[in-house]
Amino acid sequence: MPQVTERPKPFLFPEFCKGCGRCISVCQKHSIHFADHINARTGVVPIEIDLDTCNACGLCMDACPEPYGLIGRPVDATDWELEDPSHLFGHRPTTAPVPVDIPDQRVALPACEPLVVKGNYAAAIGALLAGCRHFFGYPITPSTEGAELMASLMPKLQGVFLQAVSEVATVNHMYGAASAGQRSMTFTSSPGFSLMLEGISYMIGAELPGVFVNIMRGGPGLGNIAPEQTDIKLACRGLGHGNTHALVFAPSTPQEMLDMTMRAFDLSFRYRNPVVILGDGYLGQMTGRVMLPRDMVKPGIPAWAVWGDAMHRRNLTSSIMLAETDLEQHNEHLNRKYEAMKVEAMADTFVCDDAEIIVVACNTPARMAKGAVQELRHMGVKAGLFRPQTLWPFPVDAFLPLLAHARRIVMVEASPGQLEDELRLALSRADVRTYPPISSVQHFGGILPQQHEIVTRIMDLPAGSHAQAVSGSEVLA
Amino acid sequence: MSTCASFAVADFKSDLKPIWCPGCGDFGVLQSIYRALSAIGRAPHEISFVSGIGCSSRIPGYTTAYGFNSVHGRALPIAQGIKLAHPELLVLAAGGDGDGFSIGGGHLPHAIRRNLDITYIVMDNQIYGLTKGQLSPTSPRGLHTASSVFGSLEDPVNPLLYVLGYGARFVAQGTPADMAGLSTLIEAAIRFKGFSFVNVQSPCITFGQPDQQLKAHKAGMTSLASVGHDPTNRIKAMDLAQAYGSTLYTGIFYQDPDAGPTYEEAVETRRTQFSGKPIVPRQRILENFIPR
Repeated sequence: MPQVTERPKPFLFPEFCKGCGRCISVCQKHSIHFADHINARTGVVPIEIDLDTCNACGLCMDACPEPYGLIGRPVDATDWELEDPSHLFGHRPTTAPVPVDIPDQRVALPACEPLVVKGNYAAAIGALLAGCRHFFGYPITPSTEGAELMASLMPKLQGVFLQAVSEVATVNHMYGAASAGQRSMTFTSSPGFSLMLEGISYMIGAELPGVFVNIMRGGPGLGNIAPEQTDIKLACRGLGHGNTHALVFAPSTPQEMLDMTMRAFDLSFRYRNPVVILGDGYLGQMTGRVMLPRDMVKPGIPAWAVWGDAMHRRNLTSSIMLAETDLEQHNEHLNRKYEAMKVEAMADTFVCDDAEIIVVACNTPARMAKGAVQELRHMGVKAGLFRPQTLWPFPVDAFLPLLAHARRIVMVEASPGQLEDELRLALSRADVRTYPPISSVQHFGGILPQQHEIVTRIMDLPAGSHAQAVSGSEVLA
Repeated sequence: MSTCASFAVADFKSDLKPIWCPGCGDFGVLQSIYRALSAIGRAPHEISFVSGIGCSSRIPGYTTAYGFNSVHGRALPIAQGIKLAHPELLVLAAGGDGDGFSIGGGHLPHAIRRNLDITYIVMDNQIYGLTKGQLSPTSPRGLHTASSVFGSLEDPVNPLLYVLGYGARFVAQGTPADMAGLSTLIEAAIRFKGFSFVNVQSPCITFGQPDQQLKAHKAGMTSLASVGHDPTNRIKAMDLAQAYGSTLYTGIFYQDPDAGPTYEEAVETRRTQFSGKPIVPRQRILENFIPR
């Protein structure tokens, strides 16, 4: 005797209905219609089924595009969350080993005579000594020499040099190389850096390392190819969209270009975050004496790398977190990381111990400022130079003790106060309510503040701001 | 709106003195553009000349047209913006091979498929001259440059073939070694109603290959007319375009005999189409969104 099986009538959890109406148009019995209210959980109007007139033909179930939509099963079906395979079966079983860090090795360098090289070359040499073997870049004055040195050295060092088709391509080449846990870098200048910001934001989101040397030139727009310091705001406050920050170094000599680039790779991998080195047009082109370090780095492979072997098979780098809770957690994690980066703040001071006038400058203008401070000291003015070596985080902890005897702060910069903004923000964040008046010596468009300008500006400050040698004893101990 | 008065070559020369290296091919291109513009007869103030970044992109400054030395690789989007804002203007775009085929390569197919009436002149020298001699997208494989010290590992793009592939309606190639021919080509490109593309083999005297200079062009160039090419034959044009990099063909590769309306004309047609409709009062504005 043939067994009669009853066809199931359609069933739907309203929260899985997107209200597309496909089932309404296929229903021959007109049993389906839109509800008269919005589902509060989904924000859309779901359908309702009149099961009394339904003959269980199943057309609506065929028409429904939702995997958890209309389906023929009894209403007492269980927890739908359990349908998720990972809930049902747990993670896919694997025999692959859990990835572990293959640590970097330090290899001793033979002692060698100091080099006399351009700032751009120094940074490139630093990158090579830090184990960078992937270079991507697009020619842009005044940073191209760095890329050219890489072009001539990389092939001999089993490295990769690729001239990208644009800065947009460059940063995404780096995104790819960094995903594999490799050390990559680029040289660029202001307009090119603008183009890279989208990718930098993605790299920060996906927690990938990479070193960006931005040899700042005049802007905005095309500007010119002479030095300016007008990307400070961009690097410290605007690395693309979203909640982004990266360590920003500000070298002021070719030696620092090398040292900071090496350090940048180290920190970039330690924090899994891009690092920006802000030089200026002069610094890139300036030739100076550069001592090589005692050792260089033979990089390992970090555990998180998508390296393509069994051990790294389950790794994933991604900046997409669709669920709000996931993204909030990710951003909180990034914020904790940014907070942890604050210990990397670095500054250099020059005769600041008793300084009443604190000159603040970075990059090449810091060298003019240093000359001015020396000249002022000869004249008996108690001036000192505070030179932030990291701009983000701003080394405010090193600055605060100087405020005890400071009567004036003088900013020397090739920008309309972008460094000053960083200082003011850092002071404000440090809850410093009163600090000496800030004056500034500024130049733009490729002209840097000159030593005599700084001296004149400081000597022209209102009386009492600085003490001459004669009267110096009575002012502030 | 074209003006009837005639303009001499001198009317298009600006007061700026070109600072290209002596012997640069771009001088010849500039001269050909002067000649073409004077033959067209539009007043300098009715011409907008847009370029990107590069040595060749300095060219608008040396003309009396409204010039725009714009963003690297973005000459075409800017030119399209100008043309749409003011369709009566004669819009020229120019740049180098890096500007047009590398950083700006993504804009070219879309300018072509939109078919605005713009003339795009590329001064193709197979090198990045302004940044002092790096690899360009048209550099031949194996070329030694500052950024390919041991020889380039990449094949060059074939700009002629790919603009034809994108569906360009006017494709030509010239060289400043044949200035008369080049100015005729540029003039024909400007007169063509729709997007026209002129690739100019304009050698770089400082960083370019020594055997690819004007003298070599003069000796090696072959006019397309002399090989009996029919410029309405797109397939044959693509066939000949494959010789890019080996044989220097000059002349019109392809000119669509049946070019449709330009984008700005289509925009205008749509405007007229909608301008006749009755205006819906604000109270009934939602009716516009009810599906019929």
